[in-house]
Amino acid sequence: MFFIKNKKGADKMLSMYWFAIIIIVSVGVVAMVYIFYTAPYEVRDAESEVLSNQFANCFSRGGLVNPMLASVGEFNSGFDLLGECEVNFVVENEYGWSQREQFFVETEFYSVDDLNNPKLVLSEGNLDWKPSCFIKDKKDEDYDRLVKCNEERIYVLGEDGEQYLIKILVGVGKIDKNVRQ
Amino acid sequence: MLGSKRNKKGQVGETLTWIVATLIIISVLFIFIYASIAMAKVKSVGSGEIKSKAQETIGKEVDWIETKNEMAFARDSSDRVRIERWLNEKQEN
Repeated sequence: MFFIKNKKGADKMLSMYWFAIIIIVSVGVVAMVYIFYTAPYEVRDAESEVLSNQFANCFSRGGLVNPMLASVGEFNSGFDLLGECEVNFVVENEYGWSQREQFFVETEFYSVDDLNNPKLVLSEGNLDWKPSCFIKDKKDEDYDRLVKCNEERIYVLGEDGEQYLIKILVGVGKIDKNVRQ
Repeated sequence: MLGSKRNKKGQVGETLTWIVATLIIISVLFIFIYASIAMAKVKSVGSGEIKSKAQETIGKEVDWIETKNEMAFARDSSDRVRIERWLNEKQEN
């Protein structure tokens, strides 16, 4: 008799135990899903590459330089970088981004005779971001909170057969949306 | 007396089993939570995911910039070595 009563109590305890385990596991699963899906995607690498490709496409057409950019061996210093290349740096009005530009582009144009001194430098956007592009310490925990940059170099020919080299450096800020706070 | 003692021993053994089982369940849960934190940190859309239509069609990697450079070299490849050296000096990010 004593044994039977005891067994009933043990069964009750066991079902409470399972109930507690189900709750713990459910909370764990919800926590895992929440942690993973609320983490932002880092898209800035892709974004900076897309932007550099857009500028490269604007400067070089089938291997020939855009005639608006250079002709008769001279670069056009009045070239409208954003307008001609159909790029805008307009961003969402969040995190105070409208007060601080989140992109920059710097392009250096060289003649093949002198690869150290650019003949023309054109830039747009927030150039305060630029020094971050040269920090390479990826192990630093704050590295992800820096601007993501992409550099591309292209070789183009002028209509007159002149050889030009172009360096494109693009940086994307937008830290608040791409890195977990 | 003897029966009660035996019963107690059985209960202790069973309780220990459940305590160990609970610990295992909770530690597995923590491992999974830790893994989800680690995976969340590396969520990114890299440039590798962006494939151009041409890339999908021909089924191999196409570098947009390299293609442009090759087009220019096809027209004039004089000083190619020097130019290529300069092109390859670009900083990797």
